Amino acid sequence: MTRQAFLLSLPALLLVCLFGVVMFSFAEISLLSMKPGAAVFSGPPSLANYERLLASSGAWRAVATTMRLSFIITVLCIVAGYPLARVLARSPSASLRRFVLFCLVGTFLSGGVTRAYAWLIILGNRGIINRGLEAFGLPTLKLLNNEFAVVVSVLNFVLPFFVMTLFGALKTIPATLEDASRNLGASPMRTFLHVTLPLSIPGLAVSTSLCFAMSLGAFLFPQMLGGGRVQVLATAIYERIQASYNIPEAAALAFLFFILVIVILVVTGLLRRLVGRRFAGDPA
Amino acid sequence: MAGYASCRLDIDGIRKTYAGGVVAVDDISLTVEKGEVLALLGPSGCGKTTLLQSIAGFVTPDRGDIALDGQSILTVAPERRRTAMMFQHYALFPHMSVRDNIGFGLKMMKVAKPEAVRRIDDVLRLVRIEALAERMPSQLSGGQRQRVALARAVVTEPRMLLLDEPLGALDQNLREEMQSELRKLQQRLGLTTVMVTHDQREAIVLSDRIAVMHDGKVEQIGTARDIYDHPCTCYVANFTGVENLLPAERGAEGVVILAGVAIEGIVDPGLAARKGAVTLAVRSEAISLSPGVSHGAIPATVTFVQMLGASMRYEVELDDGTRLVVAEVRRETAPYSVGDKVSARFAANRCSILEA
Repeated sequence: MTRQAFLLSLPALLLVCLFGVVMFSFAEISLLSMKPGAAVFSGPPSLANYERLLASSGAWRAVATTMRLSFIITVLCIVAGYPLARVLARSPSASLRRFVLFCLVGTFLSGGVTRAYAWLIILGNRGIINRGLEAFGLPTLKLLNNEFAVVVSVLNFVLPFFVMTLFGALKTIPATLEDASRNLGASPMRTFLHVTLPLSIPGLAVSTSLCFAMSLGAFLFPQMLGGGRVQVLATAIYERIQASYNIPEAAALAFLFFILVIVILVVTGLLRRLVGRRFAGDPA
Repeated sequence: MAGYASCRLDIDGIRKTYAGGVVAVDDISLTVEKGEVLALLGPSGCGKTTLLQSIAGFVTPDRGDIALDGQSILTVAPERRRTAMMFQHYALFPHMSVRDNIGFGLKMMKVAKPEAVRRIDDVLRLVRIEALAERMPSQLSGGQRQRVALARAVVTEPRMLLLDEPLGALDQNLREEMQSELRKLQQRLGLTTVMVTHDQREAIVLSDRIAVMHDGKVEQIGTARDIYDHPCTCYVANFTGVENLLPAERGAEGVVILAGVAIEGIVDPGLAARKGAVTLAVRSEAISLSPGVSHGAIPATVTFVQMLGASMRYEVELDDGTRLVVAEVRRETAPYSVGDKVSARFAANRCSILEA
């Protein structure tokens, strides 16, 4: 590494070191245990927290819920986000592009808590949707404090990141390739399947793994809109700190979560290299 | 290769306005006969590409009609027009091999596999890239990419061929090689072709007829020779590289007076139409110099001499201060030098009389 490259990457390296320190202290605390009847934790170090967590059905359920919800959110993100990214990259109508961009950036800029409250107002038992249903004499729906509310709100949170990342990738596919495909007798549908989609696979892989990673770590929306009935890993950790005040166990769960994320990163990384090799090729 | 059923193309009163009121194509009508190559020549923004894209179906004109063999294709989707286009930067699919690129159109037309393989092999031989069939586009040179793009366009046996700046992306040496190759291939296949270019030399060597475009209109249409020798407006003369646009006077009985000397025998049809002050357009190679004073020629003084290899380039000044550029094939005798008194003689059949 040259001196200049080292200096330029120094801030990022420091941040990674800090992160390492935090993870190390998690790992350390996770080996201790709470002193009964007191708000302190102490030794001797043991793997008891891990044993308990791995044997408990609650922790496994949290893992399963986290993975399932993240998967659902990612799939919905692709379904909803791909067309939006395509509109941004290709629509001949400037006003439509501006409108979509405005909506996405608006979501970006409004804070998480604000948005969570907005969803409470929309989805609540006396919320906008249910009042609308009442006005038409229809039965009201239970939209809050369940997985539906969590999926909708987290989707709203990750969608702009997904669309903007994919938009960048789609923008680099020359539009003349699509013209060439039409010119050679392919309908718009077949043009999409044979040209646009394969060429966007590398970009799609990046935006999809970003979307999945963000869904995995989401805390605020499951906490506020799950109403304690949707337990994902982030809320399970929080609950151990705030409710049962078992900090070593929370640290152990956080460390397990960390390992899970690393495993997922390695797997998606391998998948990305695989599709990258299949579909890469500079646009000639 | 057989099976090319080339078509006549009729463009009738096409007009296209883009958002913001920019008129890209302004009421253009023209016909391209079966097997003919028409070049749309003009600078960027003259509407030539819009016209080409209207034929391919990527642009829908506001008005007018486009017909192949008398049948309107305006309502036909681009994928059903069979107007094969070779794109400016070739637009090869980067994720497909050369063979798959060329076979794409056949696959979309659902041509049976053995038939498709045979046709791809034929066209690979035709453009002489048999050895590259399994390569990816990123592994090809510019010239090879162009051959693939051409093969991909003609393998489907289209009704006509559209070329967008066919040689624009190649370097000079390759360009000259591909020029003659493209021309031979086109003549062999007899494909009706419309090409777009901003390069007058490319238009001249590749096409049968040229339409010079300016601000969405066709300024002049004719054979390469017509356009080259007899541009009908100053714009065309300028754009096709006429070096000398000289202020002159229309005299009596078909005589043009330049710097006080009458030039006789000009055969340009524009001559009859113009009166009074006119512009005389002459290419540098249509003027010859002779030493000293000679009858019927215009006296001039050499002001600049440049050696161009096969020819010499002179700048001479007439008595009234008008400057001429003259190109002469090099002769046995020593070239003129600065300060020499010479006489300039114009090849009357290659002079054009334009509006002043």
